[in-house]
Amino acid sequence: MTTKRVPCPKELNQESGRGLLDSVRQQGIARGEELILDFSETETMDSRGGAWLLKIADLVRSKHGEFRFESHHGRVAEFMELIKPGLEGGLEEKPRSPGFVERVGDHGINFVSEARDFLDLYVDAIYWTFVGPFEGRKFRWGLFVDEVHEMGVRAIGINCLMNFLLGMIIAMLSAAQLRLYGADIYVASLVVIAFFRELAAVMTAVVVSARTGAAIAAELATMEVQEEIDALRGMGLNVAQFLVAPKVLALLLAMPCLVVLGMVSGILGGAAWGIPVLGHRSDVWFRQTLDWADLGDFFQGMLKSVIFAFTIVLVGCHNGLRVKGGSRGVGLMTTRAVVMDIFFLIVIDMIFAAIFYYAWD
Amino acid sequence: MNAKDHHPPVISVRDVVAHYGDTLVLDGISFEVQSGEIFLIVGGSGCGKTTLLKHMTGLLRPTSGSVLYSGVDITTLDEDRLATTQQNIGIAFQSGGLFNSMTIGENVALPLREYGQVDEALIEGIVRLKLSLVGLAAAQHLLPDELSGGMRKRAGLARAMALDPPIIYFDEPSAGLDPIIASGLDDLILDIRKLLGITFVIVTHELESIRKIADRIMMLEQGKVIFLGTVKEAESSGAERVRQFFERRPDAHIAQRKA
Repeated sequence: MTTKRVPCPKELNQESGRGLLDSVRQQGIARGEELILDFSETETMDSRGGAWLLKIADLVRSKHGEFRFESHHGRVAEFMELIKPGLEGGLEEKPRSPGFVERVGDHGINFVSEARDFLDLYVDAIYWTFVGPFEGRKFRWGLFVDEVHEMGVRAIGINCLMNFLLGMIIAMLSAAQLRLYGADIYVASLVVIAFFRELAAVMTAVVVSARTGAAIAAELATMEVQEEIDALRGMGLNVAQFLVAPKVLALLLAMPCLVVLGMVSGILGGAAWGIPVLGHRSDVWFRQTLDWADLGDFFQGMLKSVIFAFTIVLVGCHNGLRVKGGSRGVGLMTTRAVVMDIFFLIVIDMIFAAIFYYAWD
Repeated sequence: MNAKDHHPPVISVRDVVAHYGDTLVLDGISFEVQSGEIFLIVGGSGCGKTTLLKHMTGLLRPTSGSVLYSGVDITTLDEDRLATTQQNIGIAFQSGGLFNSMTIGENVALPLREYGQVDEALIEGIVRLKLSLVGLAAAQHLLPDELSGGMRKRAGLARAMALDPPIIYFDEPSAGLDPIIASGLDDLILDIRKLLGITFVIVTHELESIRKIADRIMMLEQGKVIFLGTVKEAESSGAERVRQFFERRPDAHIAQRKA
């Protein structure tokens, strides 16, 4: 085995360290060769100089050579002692990225475990909301009242405004078509049917997912990160009972109310276009609206609102509780909750459409 | 004690008064720290230790008084000049203060990338060197979540040392650690001081660690300095409150409850 000996400069710092690395690189290291750094001249070194030594050790090891240092003394010896683990380690393999099959498997396993968690939470939430209180288990009515205020009362303004504007848009859009046949009074019927069956429920659900769904996910995720959830469990309290059930019941009450307000706002929005712009008399417009208002349609919207409410709370809680990592995890899970909410509500709406428009009639 | 009186102090705090809202938190604090010294700020909970640290590092500005680094008063500097001065001090926070979304290595590299004007090739070397100084060479690619509390503190110290600052502030290095790890951290502070000549200003209330590392200690009580000197002087001090602290005696109203 051949040996190369390289003297170290008197002061080992950022500049001279770079020079040292360059000179080692120029001399070249062959496989199995040994490089000895001679510190006999070296009196001082700083941490930048030390960092260059680490780089030299990496270089030598990458060429399958051996790295040693000798004649270090005084301060330098103490310094070398402290950075030894860095010199010996290095070039450690970064975590290997998994192959295709492994990734598919991973996703599959994650999906199944997540679905099971969701189902657990679902069953727990149903029990603690609808069964537990009747069996004499405690229900947090105080939190329930606060949540109704936060989720429901405080959302009234934005929800009515959004539905009103959507009503106007629908009226504009459909009037442009129906006018061709002189049938634009049917805009009134279209708006009332659309809002009863679909739009009030969907629009309200979007507003509520963005407000309440995100808030729930962020709240629970932060609690999880700060070990508050562990504290609850440690006290033997049930998370579903303590946190989830009051939210479920609160939104089950608030959401249908918001949807009814949404329906009224949407119809008024349609009228706000139909009466002044399309030039219909208001009594004719509202007569037409009432003629086409159907109790079946109304209940279809109500049924959806209840299912949406349940979904939004559970998706929010589920994502919040699954948080990993700190502040960044909270952000990720909040985003995920809102995206999942909107995805689910479109899927649920589609299932309803399939049932009511095809299977039912 | 290796600090000599004829050197100008690296830090001098003069008559600092600070309020939170209407509450007086610091009431005319004055002291000086010499180069290469390990200076401890001690005192019971809520005595203003952490607040003082925040004022010394420029995170808060005092109501009146000044904080001078080698003669420069940081309480009157504008944001840019303050930031330049802050590069000369490293801060290690109580629970690490690490960025959760980055690996330990990236955390240490952050100040180097932002300020250091260092070769990208060298950054990795510096990161590994600082991590091996604090005994975390193997944790470079891990996330803060994956470390224990003591490891996070050490990683925080590595990040504080990234730019080789002459002064390091350390908030509660041994709080919440087991005695073995805590004394290891004390040794580490002593080693780093010896090797790199860094001045340490440390907030703590762990007696063991005070006895082991302190050159001088300053004791605060209700925003006032009630003692300033070496540990020996403190232990033989006549002041009741100082003696009580070092003898770990509870307050009278708590002691009575036991009787």
